[in-house]
Amino acid sequence: MNKTWIVTLETYLRQVKSWSFLTLVLMPFLFVGLSFGISYLATPNQSKNDIAVVSKNTALRANFLDSSGIATTDKYATTSSAQRATKRSDINGYLTLTVKNNQLTATFHGPDAVSSGDQAKIQRFLSTTQTALNLSQAKLSKQQTRALAVQPQFKQRLQKKTATDKLAKRISFYIIVFFVYLILTTYSSITAQEIAAEKGTKIMEVIFSSTTPRKYFNGKVYGVLLVIVTQLLIYLLGGVILVQVAQKSRVTADFWQQNAGVINQILHNLLSINLLFALLAVLLYTVISAFCGALVTRVEDAGKASQPVVYLNLITFAVALAFQGNPTNTFVKIFSYVPFFSSYLMPLRLINNSASGLQAGISMVILLATIIGSMAYIGRIYGGLMLQTDELGFWGNLKRGLSLK
Amino acid sequence: MLSVANISKTFGTVKALNAVSFDVHDGEIMGLIGQNGAGKSTTFHSILNFLTFDGQITWNGQPLTAADYDQIGYLPEERSLMSKLTITQQIVYLARLKNQSANVTKPKIKDWMARFAVKGQPTDRINKLSKGNQQKVQLICTLIHDPQLIILDEPFSGLDPVNADLLKQAILDAKQRGATIIFSSHDMSNVEEICDSLVMLRNGQTVLKGTIDDVRQQFGRTRLFLTTDWTSNQLSELTGVTSVKTIGPHRYRLQLADASVGPAIFDKVTAGQYVPEFSQQPPTLDEIFRTEAGGGQRE
Repeated sequence: MNKTWIVTLETYLRQVKSWSFLTLVLMPFLFVGLSFGISYLATPNQSKNDIAVVSKNTALRANFLDSSGIATTDKYATTSSAQRATKRSDINGYLTLTVKNNQLTATFHGPDAVSSGDQAKIQRFLSTTQTALNLSQAKLSKQQTRALAVQPQFKQRLQKKTATDKLAKRISFYIIVFFVYLILTTYSSITAQEIAAEKGTKIMEVIFSSTTPRKYFNGKVYGVLLVIVTQLLIYLLGGVILVQVAQKSRVTADFWQQNAGVINQILHNLLSINLLFALLAVLLYTVISAFCGALVTRVEDAGKASQPVVYLNLITFAVALAFQGNPTNTFVKIFSYVPFFSSYLMPLRLINNSASGLQAGISMVILLATIIGSMAYIGRIYGGLMLQTDELGFWGNLKRGLSLK
Repeated sequence: MLSVANISKTFGTVKALNAVSFDVHDGEIMGLIGQNGAGKSTTFHSILNFLTFDGQITWNGQPLTAADYDQIGYLPEERSLMSKLTITQQIVYLARLKNQSANVTKPKIKDWMARFAVKGQPTDRINKLSKGNQQKVQLICTLIHDPQLIILDEPFSGLDPVNADLLKQAILDAKQRGATIIFSSHDMSNVEEICDSLVMLRNGQTVLKGTIDDVRQQFGRTRLFLTTDWTSNQLSELTGVTSVKTIGPHRYRLQLADASVGPAIFDKVTAGQYVPEFSQQPPTLDEIFRTEAGGGQRE
């Protein structure tokens, strides 16, 4: 096996087998699961929301149970049983349906009023049924019946889904920015500390007597990248499962249905080229983090190693937040091509339709070129940096490291 | 064969190596000796391509490149392993980097652990092992892929005499199969015992080079061990004797100005009579080290 891949595999397995990785990956799911569980327990059972339907007219009752569109139960057919069930809070109440003098009457009995939505559905059922009753009583000809069946029409010609659009864009932007920021901060620290911890030991000499520093460096970066991809895949898989659950669960189904447009647009914004920008950002930051880790002299300083990258990430994050409402600003346009910034600002422009596919492509090519160039250069000087263990400060370490190889 | 030809290395204003040259043949053990900072580790680092340097280093006639790494077994001066790995994981990982597959390495581990008397199981984590056992695991990592070029930087430091003997045996076994071995040591008895040749460095320069016997003989038979009824004062008045040290009852070690004064002293001290001991020897490596490595000031 290629030595780069041996290092990649070793780095990857060491990371994914660690408790910190498991915690990192599982934490969001635990959080969502916990919130969902609490909501589930707090939401009354579905059967308690049902209403019973009581009527001497069995056909009318059956018709209501089938076609009213509200949550009903056919368990209680008599007034007394429905009353008892209401008292026990097994059901929300009961509806009595009567037909007297060809007039349909529905009366709800229960501790709380029926929701406005259910009221509308009951009213619609009553109107439809009453109309049918009236028509049958009027003994009209087919032609007359057809004439009376004509309904008015209501049409909507919407200009644009501006409100939905704006909300979806804003949510997409925040999800991307915070996600990228968290991933970058986490993995910058992990990478820099891992490299710095190795630097303080002589194991590097043993490794560099087995493979070239460039191959080792590339292997480390690929290993960390694989860990990040694994985390992303787990999140994607978890996300798919969550979407399935959320669409069907009684806790979230209504919310999902009401906001389907926004949610679909957000998912579309996330699962696009923006994800690739996020991934490449992580790769670039990982490379620079490894470089920073290699500049630290002692294991005890490993914590400090990631600071330059973390601060850089913080600055780009702050810039992205500051311009989130102004994606057409000239600064945003220019810096959406500048590596480190582009990973935040180009997605911002893409979400707001202020950048074309070509512009996104150019930004990505620049980002890729920067990554490849950084890896090539740092890979070349990596051996010198890692074997330089005298305490000379940041610039001194860099200078000495460059002079070794 | 490893050939180091005229290599020099400068760090800033410090000349760490100055035109150092030596050859080590297949099946030969060479000791690289010198005080701390003499340039031993820099020499090793140059051989391993960790540094840029002036001069040329070749392995079997070709410049040593990454393609030769699989044939190298290197033990650095300070011991270091990946503390969270198990013994097996650590050995297998480093052996894989030498292109020896896990399938080949794993069955060997128990034998090597027994050979070095490592206390513990292959599944034990490195950080659970004692310092001495960690050192032995690192030695296993250095040797388990049967390297052709073995570079050991202070391999005996920290090892007790029993474990040092185990290491010596492993080095001699490697020599037996034709490996080229170069190691540094401050303990001259180890060098004297197993090395075929040595190079002594002082401030980056070669001050001694050759087989152990040649190097010792360069200094002449200037040490005289003598058992006699003569007193220390009487012995120190003899011509050519620079110092006398009492090392036992009627037993003395004389330092001679020149080996050639030996016969005259023999005649005077024995006067045709029997003496239990009259042994004229060259200085030991340890004595040579003390005088030469520090700056050539002899006792």
